[in-house]
Amino acid sequence: MEIKIRRYESIYIVDIYGDMDMYNANDVKNLINTMIKKDIRYYIINLDNVDYIDSSGIGALIYVHSELKKRNMALRIVNVKGSVKKVIELTKLIGFFQIAPTVKDGIAELSRMNRS
Amino acid sequence: MAEEKSEIKEIRVDEASPLFDKKGMFHKRFKSDFRQIRYFTLLIVQKAPPEIKEINLLEQQISEIIKNAVKHGNHNDPKKHVDVWYSFSETHARLIVQDEGEGFKRLEEWNEFNKKRNECFKNQNFEEMAKYVSFLTEDSDENDSGNALFAAVEYWNGGIVFNKKKNCVAVAKYFPVKRRGLKLE
Repeated sequence: MEIKIRRYESIYIVDIYGDMDMYNANDVKNLINTMIKKDIRYYIINLDNVDYIDSSGIGALIYVHSELKKRNMALRIVNVKGSVKKVIELTKLIGFFQIAPTVKDGIAELSRMNRS
Repeated sequence: MAEEKSEIKEIRVDEASPLFDKKGMFHKRFKSDFRQIRYFTLLIVQKAPPEIKEINLLEQQISEIIKNAVKHGNHNDPKKHVDVWYSFSETHARLIVQDEGEGFKRLEEWNEFNKKRNECFKNQNFEEMAKYVSFLTEDSDENDSGNALFAAVEYWNGGIVFNKKKNCVAVAKYFPVKRRGLKLE
Protein backbone atom coordinates (compact mmCIF):
# COMPACT_ATOMS: atom_id res chain seq x y z
CA MET A 1 0.00 0.00 0.00
CA GLU A 2 1.14 3.51 -0.80
CA ILE A 3 -0.33 6.78 0.42
CA LYS A 4 -0.05 10.15 -1.27
CA ILE A 5 -1.41 13.44 -0.02
CA ARG A 6 -2.70 16.32 -2.11
CA ARG A 7 -4.21 19.59 -0.99
CA TYR A 8 -7.03 21.67 -2.38
CA GLU A 9 -7.30 24.90 -0.39
CA SER A 10 -7.91 23.70 3.18
CA ILE A 11 -8.98 20.20 2.10
CA TYR A 12 -6.45 17.36 2.22
CA ILE A 13 -6.93 14.48 -0.18
CA VAL A 14 -5.42 11.19 0.95
CA ASP A 15 -4.97 8.93 -2.08
CA ILE A 16 -4.50 5.30 -1.14
CA TYR A 17 -2.92 2.88 -3.61
CA GLY A 18 -2.99 -0.91 -3.25
CA ASP A 19 -4.46 -3.24 -0.65
CA MET A 20 -5.80 -1.96 2.68
CA ASP A 21 -5.32 -5.06 4.78
CA MET A 22 -4.19 -6.45 8.14
CA TYR A 23 -0.57 -5.69 7.30
CA ASN A 24 -0.84 -1.99 6.60
CA ALA A 25 -4.18 -0.60 7.79
CA ASN A 26 -2.37 0.97 10.75
CA ASP A 27 -0.38 3.21 8.40
CA VAL A 28 -3.62 5.00 7.53
CA LYS A 29 -4.51 5.48 11.22
CA ASN A 30 -1.02 6.79 12.01
CA LEU A 31 -1.02 9.20 9.10
CA ILE A 32 -4.39 10.67 10.03
CA ASN A 33 -3.28 11.01 13.66
CA THR A 34 -0.27 13.02 12.48
CA MET A 35 -2.50 15.20 10.32
CA ILE A 36 -4.95 15.76 13.19
CA LYS A 37 -2.06 17.06 15.30
CA LYS A 38 -1.33 19.58 12.55
CA ASP A 39 -4.91 20.74 12.96
CA ILE A 40 -6.00 19.79 9.47
CA ARG A 41 -9.79 19.88 9.50
CA TYR A 42 -11.03 18.65 6.12
CA TYR A 43 -10.20 15.22 4.76
CA ILE A 44 -10.97 13.16 1.70
CA ILE A 45 -9.91 9.52 1.63
CA ASN A 46 -9.76 8.45 -1.99
CA LEU A 47 -10.16 4.70 -2.53
CA ASP A 48 -10.06 4.88 -6.33
CA ASN A 49 -6.92 2.76 -6.43
CA VAL A 50 -7.86 0.28 -3.72
CA ASP A 51 -9.13 -3.07 -5.01
CA TYR A 52 -8.88 -5.02 -1.78
CA ILE A 53 -9.97 -4.14 1.73
CA ASP A 54 -10.34 -6.45 4.71
CA SER A 55 -11.76 -5.98 8.21
CA SER A 56 -8.56 -4.22 9.33
CA GLY A 57 -8.92 -1.74 6.48
CA ILE A 58 -12.56 -1.22 7.44
CA GLY A 59 -11.39 -0.83 11.04
CA ALA A 60 -8.96 1.90 9.98
CA LEU A 61 -11.77 3.76 8.20
CA ILE A 62 -14.00 3.44 11.29
CA TYR A 63 -11.14 4.73 13.45
CA VAL A 64 -10.50 7.74 11.20
CA HIS A 65 -14.24 8.49 10.96
CA SER A 66 -14.61 8.43 14.76
CA GLU A 67 -11.46 10.40 15.59
CA LEU A 68 -12.38 13.17 13.15
CA LYS A 69 -15.98 13.25 14.30
CA LYS A 70 -14.92 13.63 17.93
CA ARG A 71 -12.97 16.75 16.97
CA ASN A 72 -15.63 18.21 14.66
CA MET A 73 -13.35 17.65 11.71
CA ALA A 74 -14.88 16.49 8.44
CA LEU A 75 -14.26 13.45 6.25
CA ARG A 76 -15.57 12.19 2.95
CA ILE A 77 -14.67 8.75 1.66
CA VAL A 78 -14.74 8.73 -2.14
CA ASN A 79 -14.57 6.34 -5.10
CA VAL A 80 -16.01 3.45 -3.12
CA LYS A 81 -16.49 0.73 -5.71
CA GLY A 82 -16.04 -2.93 -6.65
CA SER A 83 -15.25 -5.35 -3.85
CA VAL A 84 -14.39 -2.48 -1.48
CA LYS A 85 -17.99 -1.31 -1.80
CA LYS A 86 -19.22 -4.86 -1.27
CA VAL A 87 -17.25 -5.25 1.97
CA ILE A 88 -18.55 -1.91 3.28
CA GLU A 89 -22.09 -2.98 2.33
CA LEU A 90 -21.73 -6.39 4.00
CA THR A 91 -20.45 -4.67 7.14
CA LYS A 92 -23.51 -2.39 6.90
CA LEU A 93 -21.47 0.78 7.05
CA ILE A 94 -22.96 2.51 4.03
CA GLY A 95 -24.81 5.35 5.73
CA PHE A 96 -22.52 5.25 8.75
CA PHE A 97 -19.60 6.53 6.70
CA GLN A 98 -19.96 9.79 4.83
CA ILE A 99 -19.38 8.72 1.28
CA ALA A 100 -19.25 10.95 -1.79
CA PRO A 101 -19.00 9.65 -5.38
CA THR A 102 -15.79 11.37 -6.52
CA VAL A 103 -12.96 13.57 -5.24
CA LYS A 104 -14.67 16.50 -6.93
CA ASP A 105 -17.96 15.80 -5.12
CA GLY A 106 -16.09 15.40 -1.84
CA ILE A 107 -14.38 18.76 -2.33
CA ALA A 108 -17.71 20.42 -3.16
CA GLU A 109 -19.37 19.05 -0.01
CA LEU A 110 -16.48 19.98 2.28
CA SER A 111 -16.11 23.44 0.71
CA ARG A 112 -19.77 24.16 1.48
CA MET A 113 -19.16 23.19 5.12
CA ASN A 114 -16.05 25.34 5.28
CA ARG A 115 -17.97 28.41 4.09
CA SER A 116 -21.00 28.00 6.31
CA MET B 1 -27.41 -29.15 0.84
CA ALA B 2 -30.32 -26.76 0.94
CA GLU B 3 -29.69 -23.10 1.57
CA GLU B 4 -30.60 -22.19 5.11
CA LYS B 5 -32.55 -19.03 5.52
CA SER B 6 -33.34 -17.23 8.71
CA GLU B 7 -34.52 -13.72 9.52
CA ILE B 8 -31.89 -12.99 12.15
CA LYS B 9 -28.49 -14.11 11.04
CA GLU B 10 -26.62 -15.72 13.88
CA ILE B 11 -23.50 -17.72 14.49
CA ARG B 12 -24.61 -21.11 15.75
CA VAL B 13 -23.09 -23.96 17.71
CA ASP B 14 -24.08 -27.27 16.16
CA GLU B 15 -21.57 -30.04 15.98
CA ALA B 16 -24.03 -32.21 14.03
CA SER B 17 -24.39 -29.63 11.24
CA PRO B 18 -23.89 -31.06 7.74
CA LEU B 19 -21.48 -28.15 7.21
CA PHE B 20 -18.93 -30.22 9.18
CA ASP B 21 -19.09 -33.06 6.63
CA LYS B 22 -15.54 -33.15 5.23
CA LYS B 23 -16.28 -35.70 2.51
CA GLY B 24 -14.83 -34.65 -0.84
CA MET B 25 -13.12 -31.57 0.60
CA PHE B 26 -9.48 -30.63 0.11
CA HIS B 27 -7.32 -30.22 3.19
CA LYS B 28 -4.34 -28.06 4.07
CA ARG B 29 -2.50 -27.54 7.34
CA PHE B 30 -0.64 -24.33 8.18
CA LYS B 31 1.56 -23.11 11.00
CA SER B 32 0.17 -20.09 12.82
CA ASP B 33 2.17 -17.40 11.07
CA PHE B 34 0.36 -14.08 10.96
CA ARG B 35 2.56 -12.80 8.13
CA GLN B 36 1.48 -15.69 5.92
CA ILE B 37 -2.30 -15.42 6.29
CA ARG B 38 -2.93 -13.87 2.89
CA TYR B 39 -0.53 -16.32 1.24
CA PHE B 40 -2.31 -19.30 2.85
CA THR B 41 -5.60 -17.84 1.70
CA LEU B 42 -4.37 -17.58 -1.89
CA LEU B 43 -3.30 -21.24 -1.83
CA ILE B 44 -6.86 -22.15 -0.92
CA VAL B 45 -8.78 -19.74 -3.09
CA GLN B 46 -6.85 -20.73 -6.23
CA LYS B 47 -9.06 -23.84 -6.31
CA ALA B 48 -12.18 -21.69 -6.70
CA PRO B 49 -13.65 -21.12 -10.16
CA PRO B 50 -13.49 -17.47 -11.28
CA GLU B 51 -17.32 -17.25 -11.37
CA ILE B 52 -17.53 -17.20 -7.56
CA LYS B 53 -14.48 -15.10 -6.73
CA GLU B 54 -16.33 -11.78 -7.18
CA ILE B 55 -13.00 -10.06 -7.88
CA ASN B 56 -11.53 -10.84 -4.47
CA LEU B 57 -14.47 -10.91 -2.09
CA LEU B 58 -14.22 -14.69 -1.59
CA GLU B 59 -10.50 -14.35 -0.87
CA GLN B 60 -11.14 -11.58 1.63
CA GLN B 61 -13.84 -13.52 3.46
CA ILE B 62 -11.67 -16.64 3.67
CA SER B 63 -8.69 -14.63 4.94
CA GLU B 64 -10.81 -13.30 7.83
CA ILE B 65 -11.66 -16.81 9.01
CA ILE B 66 -8.06 -17.96 8.77
CA LYS B 67 -6.90 -14.80 10.54
CA ASN B 68 -9.30 -15.45 13.41
CA ALA B 69 -7.91 -18.99 13.76
CA VAL B 70 -4.25 -17.89 13.61
CA LYS B 71 -4.60 -14.84 15.81
CA HIS B 72 -7.49 -15.31 18.20
CA GLY B 73 -7.47 -19.12 18.24
CA ASN B 74 -3.77 -19.94 18.27
CA HIS B 75 -2.47 -16.53 19.44
CA ASN B 76 0.12 -16.60 16.61
CA ASP B 77 1.89 -19.53 18.33
CA PRO B 78 3.98 -21.13 15.55
CA LYS B 79 3.80 -24.48 17.35
CA LYS B 80 0.04 -24.52 16.81
CA HIS B 81 -1.56 -25.39 13.51
CA VAL B 82 -4.60 -24.32 11.58
CA ASP B 83 -6.38 -27.00 9.57
CA VAL B 84 -8.47 -25.92 6.61
CA TRP B 85 -10.87 -28.08 4.60
CA TYR B 86 -12.36 -26.50 1.51
CA SER B 87 -14.51 -27.17 -1.49
CA PHE B 88 -15.62 -24.91 -4.33
CA SER B 89 -17.81 -25.10 -7.40
CA GLU B 90 -19.59 -22.54 -9.58
CA THR B 91 -22.49 -22.61 -7.14
CA HIS B 92 -20.87 -23.03 -3.73
CA ALA B 93 -17.95 -22.27 -1.45
CA ARG B 94 -17.46 -24.30 1.73
CA LEU B 95 -14.77 -24.02 4.34
CA ILE B 96 -13.98 -25.67 7.67
CA VAL B 97 -11.25 -24.06 9.77
CA GLN B 98 -9.96 -25.59 12.97
CA ASP B 99 -7.40 -24.15 15.37
CA GLU B 100 -5.78 -25.42 18.57
CA GLY B 101 -7.10 -22.67 20.79
CA GLU B 102 -9.59 -22.44 23.62
CA GLY B 103 -12.52 -21.64 21.38
CA PHE B 104 -14.66 -18.56 20.67
CA LYS B 105 -15.99 -18.12 24.20
CA ARG B 106 -17.86 -14.87 23.54
CA LEU B 107 -20.01 -16.30 20.76
CA GLU B 108 -23.37 -15.73 22.48
CA GLU B 109 -22.33 -12.22 23.44
CA TRP B 110 -21.35 -11.58 19.83
CA ASN B 111 -24.80 -12.64 18.60
CA GLU B 112 -26.44 -10.23 21.06
CA PHE B 113 -24.09 -7.44 20.01
CA ASN B 114 -24.80 -8.06 16.33
CA LYS B 115 -28.54 -8.05 16.99
CA LYS B 116 -28.32 -4.57 18.54
CA ARG B 117 -26.09 -3.43 15.71
CA ASN B 118 -28.60 -4.64 13.13
CA GLU B 119 -31.37 -2.86 15.00
CA CYS B 120 -29.44 0.43 14.68
CA PHE B 121 -28.84 -0.22 11.00
CA LYS B 122 -32.50 -1.03 10.37
CA ASN B 123 -33.51 2.25 12.00
CA GLN B 124 -30.64 4.05 10.24
CA ASN B 125 -29.60 5.28 13.67
CA PHE B 126 -25.92 5.87 12.98
CA GLU B 127 -25.31 7.82 16.18
CA GLU B 128 -26.33 4.78 18.22
CA MET B 129 -24.61 2.43 15.79
CA ALA B 130 -21.26 4.05 16.66
CA LYS B 131 -21.43 2.01 19.91
CA TYR B 132 -21.64 -1.21 17.92
CA VAL B 133 -19.06 -0.79 15.18
CA SER B 134 -16.43 -2.98 16.82
CA PHE B 135 -16.80 -6.10 18.94
CA LEU B 136 -13.74 -6.00 21.17
CA THR B 137 -12.90 -8.16 24.16
CA GLU B 138 -10.11 -8.26 26.77
CA ASP B 139 -8.28 -10.43 24.23
CA SER B 140 -8.30 -7.69 21.57
CA ASP B 141 -5.28 -5.53 20.81
CA GLU B 142 -4.94 -2.19 19.05
CA ASN B 143 -4.71 -3.93 15.69
CA ASP B 144 -8.06 -5.65 16.10
CA SER B 145 -10.91 -4.00 14.33
CA GLY B 146 -13.61 -6.33 15.68
CA ASN B 147 -15.82 -6.08 12.59
CA ALA B 148 -14.89 -9.12 10.47
CA LEU B 149 -17.76 -11.32 11.62
CA PHE B 150 -20.44 -8.70 10.89
CA ALA B 151 -19.65 -9.05 7.19
CA ALA B 152 -19.00 -12.79 7.45
CA VAL B 153 -22.46 -13.54 8.83
CA GLU B 154 -23.96 -11.71 5.84
CA TYR B 155 -21.58 -13.16 3.26
CA TRP B 156 -21.79 -16.85 4.28
CA ASN B 157 -25.45 -17.28 3.38
CA GLY B 158 -25.31 -21.02 4.04
CA GLY B 159 -24.43 -20.37 7.67
CA ILE B 160 -21.56 -20.06 10.14
CA VAL B 161 -21.48 -22.95 12.60
CA PHE B 162 -19.08 -23.77 15.43
CA ASN B 163 -18.34 -27.10 17.09
CA LYS B 164 -19.02 -27.52 20.80
CA LYS B 165 -15.50 -26.47 21.79
CA LYS B 166 -15.88 -23.46 19.45
CA ASN B 167 -12.39 -23.87 18.00
CA CYS B 168 -13.65 -25.19 14.69
CA VAL B 169 -15.90 -23.23 12.36
CA ALA B 170 -17.71 -24.33 9.21
CA VAL B 171 -19.10 -21.86 6.68
CA ALA B 172 -20.93 -22.10 3.40
CA LYS B 173 -21.97 -19.73 0.67
CA TYR B 174 -24.27 -20.61 -2.21
CA PHE B 175 -24.20 -18.69 -5.47
CA PRO B 176 -27.07 -18.39 -7.91
CA VAL B 177 -26.64 -20.44 -11.07
CA LYS B 178 -25.71 -18.15 -13.91
CA ARG B 179 -27.08 -18.83 -17.38
CA ARG B 180 -24.27 -19.41 -19.80
CA GLY B 181 -23.75 -19.37 -23.52
CA LEU B 182 -25.28 -17.48 -26.35
CA LYS B 183 -28.94 -16.80 -26.54
CA LEU B 184 -30.47 -18.46 -29.61
CA GLU B 185 -32.77 -16.31 -31.65
